[in-house]
Amino acid sequence: MKNTSAVAVRKGVLTAIILIFLQLINMTAALGAMLEKMITSAKSVKSVSPLFYGVIVALVAFFIAFSFIRSLYRPGKPKPTPLYCLGESLVIGLVSGVLIAALNALISTLNANGVKIRTYLDMMAPDAIKTAAFGREIPVMIGIYLALTIAGALLGGLIAWIIKSTGQPANAWAALQRAIAENHTIRFIRRNKIVRILVIIAILIFVFALPFILSPYGISILGLVLIYAVLGLGLNLIVGLSGQLVFGFVAFYAIGAYTFALLTAPKPLGLEFSFPIAFLVALAISGLSGVIVGLPIMNLRGDYLAIVTLGFAEIIRSLVNSNLLADFTGGPQGIKDIGQPRQPGFIESLIGKPMPENIYFLYVIMIFFAVTLYIVYRLQYSRVGRSWEAMREDETVAQACGVATSYYKVLAVIIGAVIAGAAGALYASRNTYIGPGDFVFMVSVNSLAVIVVGGMGSIPGALIGAFIIKGVPELLRDLENYRMVVFGVLLIAMMIIRPEGLLPIRRKKIYAEPDKDLEILKKELKP
Amino acid sequence: MYFQIQDLNVYYRAIHALQGISLTVNKGEIVALIGGNGAGKSSTLNSISGVVDITSGSITYQDENITGRATDQIVRKGLVQVPEGRHIFPKMTVQENLEMGAFLKNDKAQIQRDMERVFDLFPRMKERRNQPGGTLSGGEQQMLAIGRGLMGDPDLMLLDEPSMGLSPILVEQIFDIIVDINSQGTSILLVEQNAQMALAVADRGYVLETGEIVLTGSGLDLLNDPKVRAAYLGGDSDASESGSGAYYF
Repeated sequence: MKNTSAVAVRKGVLTAIILIFLQLINMTAALGAMLEKMITSAKSVKSVSPLFYGVIVALVAFFIAFSFIRSLYRPGKPKPTPLYCLGESLVIGLVSGVLIAALNALISTLNANGVKIRTYLDMMAPDAIKTAAFGREIPVMIGIYLALTIAGALLGGLIAWIIKSTGQPANAWAALQRAIAENHTIRFIRRNKIVRILVIIAILIFVFALPFILSPYGISILGLVLIYAVLGLGLNLIVGLSGQLVFGFVAFYAIGAYTFALLTAPKPLGLEFSFPIAFLVALAISGLSGVIVGLPIMNLRGDYLAIVTLGFAEIIRSLVNSNLLADFTGGPQGIKDIGQPRQPGFIESLIGKPMPENIYFLYVIMIFFAVTLYIVYRLQYSRVGRSWEAMREDETVAQACGVATSYYKVLAVIIGAVIAGAAGALYASRNTYIGPGDFVFMVSVNSLAVIVVGGMGSIPGALIGAFIIKGVPELLRDLENYRMVVFGVLLIAMMIIRPEGLLPIRRKKIYAEPDKDLEILKKELKP
Repeated sequence: MYFQIQDLNVYYRAIHALQGISLTVNKGEIVALIGGNGAGKSSTLNSISGVVDITSGSITYQDENITGRATDQIVRKGLVQVPEGRHIFPKMTVQENLEMGAFLKNDKAQIQRDMERVFDLFPRMKERRNQPGGTLSGGEQQMLAIGRGLMGDPDLMLLDEPSMGLSPILVEQIFDIIVDINSQGTSILLVEQNAQMALAVADRGYVLETGEIVLTGSGLDLLNDPKVRAAYLGGDSDASESGSGAYYF
């Protein structure tokens, strides 16, 4: 027991360290402001109110105490008594409260004595110091901090104890699952074909209406997310299914985008092709680049493959960025006035006026996403998909089973390249401008992150991953400077909680029964 | 001639791994290829399967020269290798692993029958057919690897160290199954370090040493050959006691 108390002290120190760091980068205030905005639904919060600042402090203590008390319940160990739990939580709250209060007392005292804290701690402006001190005198402030951390920790410990000793959430979860399994309505929806079709139609109507519901900002984000989902689906074929670690996926994306741009823009080539033709040519050229890359790397595996493809991507980027080729590719200035698809006439006759450009383009992207989804799905569950998976699992045996590995490897790269090229062409057309800055290494990293976060080889995973990699940072805009910090923490947490991705690929378990099938076959073959 | 290798030479860059090997397998035989580490056993199998490039020499199978053919072409002809170290597809289920073995087959009824045959040989595989291959035990994985090889409906099966890393009881089981498969009409070229077991089941054997065949004869002859006993079977101690699994080199 004594041992766990020492751990509690350590957890208290940990809480204090988190609080101190949050305060020093002024993130406590930012989080508080976000919370305040959410709860009071104010348009903008200039400076956070003490109440919400305090809630954030208490929440940190709450979570640490909660997870600590929960961790005390281990199989094979005696269950801790409620009094003991509260005692440990109190230790956490006390230790962290004392430390964070001490820091603020120090800063406030120095500030009062005319030391310019800001010289040393960039985020600690006088205003911020005042907020952190709740605008009170030092003794009151210390009291507030202690009260906050102790209250937070006690509450956390209490809730953890309630959950663990009653086993409620686990039971509730099981009960819910049972209810779902037994519930006739849900089973009805799952089993009944007509109902299932109706549900699918409802979802389709919702998706169809989505561009009209969303704000212009939302439309632009959804478009970007879908383009990245397409990229993810393409890369998924190469990395997730065929198991080749291609690191320079942006190269194909860039080739598709540049081909499309050069064919449709008035400058520098002045070709001004129409959308469908330019789009098909872009697909063909990116497929061709897939062949050119795919053939020499056929025999490379793992890290070597990653480096070679990375190099290829850099070559492409340097080429389009170079002044030498500026007459041909637009050079560092990029290409503007890229062509857009023309709306077919029936839309105007149907709704009376032309559809807004951004809404129309979102539909184009949606249709394209659906087509890619269909192609990728059919590929994955085909003979080709199976041979890719076999190659990923074990190339030697795949070969021993008669899979022509070189052929299927290059095939994966080509199909992936075509999909990426199409995504690039759409991107160019949507933005009407592209430049070398759009095709940096980060695009490759992001598209890889899309499939890692979503789950390697998983098709719904690519969509979820794209939403998280491209959509969530936009949802976090309220956090301003701390956006990427929070995003990074989210990604780390996600990979710890679900190391195989959010929606990892599941093996289908619907199998033929060999005996039964053989019986049926025998009957069929007899006459 | 059913299967014949003539004067096979293989180089790994400067290393002369196989130095003019010639061997034959007659229809319906079990032929054992034994030898120490680095003798060139696996290289021989890999060059037959077309995984390793051959420098010179020829490989004939069912009166056809298959030297330098692509691996999948060779597998298509019913010459199937079960690679060393089991190598199952760990994330695929047992059934999917077996289906991969029939990758080049189009006749679904035949695939069903082959799968039934594998399940007859390895009832354990049937119990576990929805389980990922990686969760099987070592012996089961070896069974799965052999079963997968059988799904290709091989006429000549190349087995690379099927006893590797298995307990003596499992080794005996695996060898029983090999004899079983052979009695159903599949010829077998068996590479083994466990010379005792391999020679006991083989019709004929070849002894490889640093890329050359140094001895050949019937399984029994080799088993009783003083040189083989000295080199591979731990002297002339109780070599006749079979299946103890103690005679690795």
